[in-house]
Amino acid sequence: MLKIEDLHVAVGNENGDGNEILKGLSLEVPKGEVHAIMGPNGSGKSTLSYTVAGRDGYEATSGDVLLDGQSVMGLDPDERAAKGLFLSFQHPMEIPGVQTMNFIRTALNAQRKARGEGEVSAADFIRLIREKAKLVGLDDAKLKRQFNVGFSGGEKKRMEMLQMAMFEPRFAIMDETDSGLDIDALKMVGAVVNELRGPDRGFLVITHYQRLLDYIKPDAVHVLAGGRIVKSGGPELAVELEKSGYDQFIEAA
Amino acid sequence: MTALANPSAFEAAIEAAYEARSKTNERQAAAFDRFAKLGLPHRRVEGWKWSDVNAVLRKDAPGEVETPEIEPSPFAALEPLEFRIVNGRIDLPKEDAPEGLRYGVMDPVGTIDELENHPIATLNVAMTRKALGIEVLDGVDFERPILIRHINGGAGFSFAQSMLRIADNAKVQIIETYEGEGAGFYSHLCHMVVRDGAEFRRAVLNETSAENVTHAICAAKLDEKAKFYQTGLSTGGRLSRHETHVHFWAPGSSASMNSASLLSGERHADFTSEALFRAPDCAAAQLHKGVAKDRARNVFQGKFNVLRAAQKTDAKMTANALLLSDGAEANHKPELEIYADDVECAHGSTVGALDDDALFYLRQRGLDEASARALLVEAFVGEVTENIEDEGLRAIFAARVSDWLEKA
Repeated sequence: MLKIEDLHVAVGNENGDGNEILKGLSLEVPKGEVHAIMGPNGSGKSTLSYTVAGRDGYEATSGDVLLDGQSVMGLDPDERAAKGLFLSFQHPMEIPGVQTMNFIRTALNAQRKARGEGEVSAADFIRLIREKAKLVGLDDAKLKRQFNVGFSGGEKKRMEMLQMAMFEPRFAIMDETDSGLDIDALKMVGAVVNELRGPDRGFLVITHYQRLLDYIKPDAVHVLAGGRIVKSGGPELAVELEKSGYDQFIEAA
Repeated sequence: MTALANPSAFEAAIEAAYEARSKTNERQAAAFDRFAKLGLPHRRVEGWKWSDVNAVLRKDAPGEVETPEIEPSPFAALEPLEFRIVNGRIDLPKEDAPEGLRYGVMDPVGTIDELENHPIATLNVAMTRKALGIEVLDGVDFERPILIRHINGGAGFSFAQSMLRIADNAKVQIIETYEGEGAGFYSHLCHMVVRDGAEFRRAVLNETSAENVTHAICAAKLDEKAKFYQTGLSTGGRLSRHETHVHFWAPGSSASMNSASLLSGERHADFTSEALFRAPDCAAAQLHKGVAKDRARNVFQGKFNVLRAAQKTDAKMTANALLLSDGAEANHKPELEIYADDVECAHGSTVGALDDDALFYLRQRGLDEASARALLVEAFVGEVTENIEDEGLRAIFAARVSDWLEKA
């Protein structure tokens, strides 16, 4: 479903001759699976998520990213979103002056329009967002606020999960969604992912710690160090990493 | 009569128009003498550095005033009581004055002391023949909005004055639109008194043509516990400048002055204001948001002048500019002049571009680049328009912003 082939990405100056962060990363997440990427700080986890999502300044110098067999590399971020690619941000933005409900509805309809689907009516939208807001633990008052303004770190992550639940993406990358969350919030993230999990959907969960994986059972775990995948295995790899740390891989990379 | 020294073609035409007039009174003659000494303001005059009216007008002699096409007002849905000032000529509403309101065409009264050396105010006093007078009577909550449309056509020049009096404990909403279509010069001088306990709301929409030069001054005197709320939105012109002079004469009065400029092409908008605090316990809040793209220029000058008697003044000023192109410019001058020792006054000013992080965030959610940029600009300017109390009026201002975003 999501296939990353020998991806090289340099981030730095406009000429593209900055620091090479990703150095030949390859990874495949088949349909219906949840994979976890674990790795130390600075290993390239966020660069990977920005590159796959199509952020300016994170263009690949070589390699490819394919969604359902088609390359997304030439596409704008919104075109990738319309194809069903969702990124849960590590540090979600506060956007003053933007009304939350209005924005999520505009975004949802923009994605649908790009896919040639009809708009969601205002009534259907409100019903849907109320239902999903309950699932992620955000009350109505929060939905009426400006987007993320004055929200705690945990509330911002709930807002990410709300959008993921609303957009029902084909493939979601969750960039350290667990950071700064308490146990209840981790359970909520697990509930959202487990509800969406299905044969046609995939997830890439980027995390430092094993604890989120208690609530989202991954099909595979990859270790990212020094800009490439240095080890892949089953869920037991996450447990092992928690015990012995990343040092072994930093040296290996 | 004093003659202008080295007049530009434009100044010479104004001088000729003044001389050709059959009747001028002493006050007008004195005002013209003062103007003749000052001339049109230029960049070396304090307060005019970024809005050089002389440079803009000096190139060509003025053309003729033409009767403009009058389109329906964007505020028509509010069913306002509509006044028009067309090329300086006052058209009163075709209906009887509603209860609680008096209005008419009257002789102008000149200007307040603080504007005596204001080059355009003095010119306006010399040139204006008749003024529009509106009074909201004692204790009247005049719910129907009053619309004053300033409509100009052609490439000539015209002058107008209005005088507003909001009597004790009265309330009113006035909307002013500036709709100059041609390449003319228009000057409007408004004097207003907001009496004890009265509430005055002023909304200004400047949507003149790209060639038009408009200068408007609103000088307001606030009495005890008077409230003055102003929101301005300007898409600029060749040069458009809206000045607000608010004088806090008595204790407990307050003002809010919010403005936004949305500028494209070579347009220029200037919001300049001075709040003069003469009495204790007064408050002012001011927010300016300027958006400029292409080679447009956004000017904001705000001054709080707190005299010794004005203890416990609480005044805040913020100006933020968003530059959408490399060639666009923002000039901000926030100023505090404080002689009282027990006050809370603050000002802040920022100039920046659209936030890349926010843009990427919105695009990741499915908005294309143009929609994402428009949403962020709308949000930026929205902080000004959302201060408008009346829901219908607020919606129309928001729609003008969306309209601009679609066209720009």
